[in-house]
Amino acid sequence: MEITLKNIIPVPLKENLEKRPSEVWHNEISFSPAKKVKIKAPSGTGKTTLVHFLYGLRSDYTGQLSWDGKPLQGLDSDKVAGYRQKQISIVFQDLRLFAHLTARENIELNRVLQEPYYPTGVIEDMAAELQVDHILHQEAGICSYGEQQRIAIIRALVQPFSLLVMDEPFSHLDQENTKKAAALIERECEKRSAGFVLTDLDEDSFFNYNTYLNL
Amino acid sequence: MLNILLKKIIKTGAGRFRYILAMVGLTVALLLILAAVQLQSNYWQLLHGNNAQDSIANFLVINKVVTNQNAGNTNLSEQDIQDLKQQPFIQGVGVVTPSRFKVAASGGSAMPFYTDMFFESVPDQFLDITGADWKWDDHSQFIPIVIPNQFLDMYNFGFAKSQNLPQLSHELVRSIPIRIDIQTPAGQKSFYAKVAGFSDRISSILVPQAFMEWANEHFATEPPKGASRVIIRTDDPSNPKLIQYLDSHQLATDLEKTRFSKYRQIVGFVVQISGFTGLAMFLFALLIFSLFIELTIASCREEIGLLVTLGASPRQLRKFLMKTFYPANMVIALIVLVILSILQWLLSGLLSHESMVVSPFISLYTIAGAVIVLVILWWVHVRTIRRQISGTR
Repeated sequence: MEITLKNIIPVPLKENLEKRPSEVWHNEISFSPAKKVKIKAPSGTGKTTLVHFLYGLRSDYTGQLSWDGKPLQGLDSDKVAGYRQKQISIVFQDLRLFAHLTARENIELNRVLQEPYYPTGVIEDMAAELQVDHILHQEAGICSYGEQQRIAIIRALVQPFSLLVMDEPFSHLDQENTKKAAALIERECEKRSAGFVLTDLDEDSFFNYNTYLNL
Repeated sequence: MLNILLKKIIKTGAGRFRYILAMVGLTVALLLILAAVQLQSNYWQLLHGNNAQDSIANFLVINKVVTNQNAGNTNLSEQDIQDLKQQPFIQGVGVVTPSRFKVAASGGSAMPFYTDMFFESVPDQFLDITGADWKWDDHSQFIPIVIPNQFLDMYNFGFAKSQNLPQLSHELVRSIPIRIDIQTPAGQKSFYAKVAGFSDRISSILVPQAFMEWANEHFATEPPKGASRVIIRTDDPSNPKLIQYLDSHQLATDLEKTRFSKYRQIVGFVVQISGFTGLAMFLFALLIFSLFIELTIASCREEIGLLVTLGASPRQLRKFLMKTFYPANMVIALIVLVILSILQWLLSGLLSHESMVVSPFISLYTIAGAVIVLVILWWVHVRTIRRQISGTR
C-alpha cells in the first residue's frame, strides 16, 4: 500500500509547527513498500501524532491523507480493518498489549484476525530469536517493558503487511536485543517486499534506510 | 481460535444474574404467547374440523320466544327478516313455510299408525338432500318428505318397545309408502309420500317447496299466516355476536347448537390474557437483553477499541457478539416448543376421552409464531450490537 500526505498539519500543534521548518508537515510526501523511511523527531514535534495519523487512529489534521489514493476519512471502518489486517502493521510506542492475555495470546490474536500468514509455530521461533520464549505463557501485564516491547514487535510481524509503521520500537531494549529485533524486522520486511517507517528521537543505524526525514 | 481469544477479551460476566433472569422471563413469555396461539388453533380445529355435528350446526332454525304476552302472535315480520339478512354473521335466511291445510298420515300394515300432522318447507339450499329424491311436480307418484331423526328414535325406542311393534331402520322407513290425506275445501284428497331423508337440523316434517306452494294454492283452508320460523345459515354458530343478537331480539334457537359460544368466550378470554401477559413479558425481556448487550459492550469499550486498532473489523465483532448472545434464544424457543408439544400431546389424549378431536401435534401457526419471535429477537440483537459497535473506534 501507499500512504500519501498533502499539506498535513495537526490541528492542536498548528501554531507551533507552521513556524518550524519540517520535511513532513505541510509537505507532500509518500510512504510505499519500496521505501525504508527514518523519521527523526525531537520530543514535542508530533512524532506519535504522525504515527497515529498514518495508521488512521486520529484525524484531527488539515490537509489530505490517502491510503492507496483514497482519502482515509472517506473509508468505512470495515475497509480500514481490511487494510490493518493485510496491508499495514504497527508497533506502538505505548505497546498496547492486552494486559490480562498471555504474551502468546496477544501475538496469536493478531495472527488469526485474518487468514493467517504464518502457522502458529512461527510465534515460538520468533520469540526464541528475541529471547522471550520463556515468558510466552505469562500475562502481558506482568512482563517487563523490554519483554512487552519484543512481544509487540513479534505481534506486528505475524500478520501480512506491505508497510510496517514503528514508533520508537527499541526504546526499552539494550543494544544486543535491538540488533536481534532489527534483524528479524529486516528479514520479515524483505520476505514480504514490504517497506517501513520508523520514528525515533535520534540518529541510528538499525537499518539501511533509503529515506531520511526530519519532522 | 479467534473466538476463544475474543471471549477472553470481551467478558460477559457483568450482570450475568440479570441476564439469566431475563432468559427465564423470555421462556415464560414465549410459553404464554405460543400457548395462546396453540389454544386458539386447537379451538379452531374443534370448531371447523370434519366432525359430523358441524354441518348441522351451520343451520339454525329461529323463532320468537313464546311468552304469555305474545302467545298466538309469534310471527316474524318482514322487517325482522330483513334485519336478520343484514347481519354479517348470517349468510342466508330462508322462510319456513307452513301448510295452510289439514293433513293426516297413516302407515298401512307395515307401520300401523294414523296421525294428524302438518307440513313445513324450507328453500332447497338449506337442505343437504339433493337430486332426484327431492323433486316434486304434479306428475310425481310420491311426495318426498323429511322427518326429524328424533321421530324415528321416539318410535323405535319408546313407542315400538312398549307396544311390541317391530323397530324400523332408516332404510326400511325410506321404502314404506305413507298415505297422506289432505282436507281440501272440496273434500279429502289422498297422496302417497316417501321418506327421502332424516334431519337433525329442523324439528319439523318437511316437504319440497314446490309441493308446498302447489298444495297451499289448491287446498288452503286458511289465509296466509306469515312466517313464524326462519332458517339461517351461519359459518360460525358459536359466534357470541349471533347469540347476543338473538337474545336482544327475543329470538330463540336450538341451544345445543350454540353451546360452543360459551366455551368460545372462555377460550377467547384465556387466549387474550395469556397472549397479552406473554407479550408484555416479551417486551421486558427484549429491553433487558438490549440493556445487557449495551452493558457488556460498554464495560469492554477499551478492549474493543484496542481490537479495532489492531484490525478487528466491526463485522467480525458483530458476528462474535451475535454468536455469544443469540443462540440462547434459539435454545429457549426450542425448549418452549418441546414443552408445548408434550402439553399438546397430553391434551389431545385427554380430549379424546371426551370425544373431542384435536391434533396430537402442535400447529404450524405455533411454530410460525416461534419463528416470528426469533426474528424479532434477532432484529433487536443485530440493531443493538450494530449501534454499540459503531460507537466504538
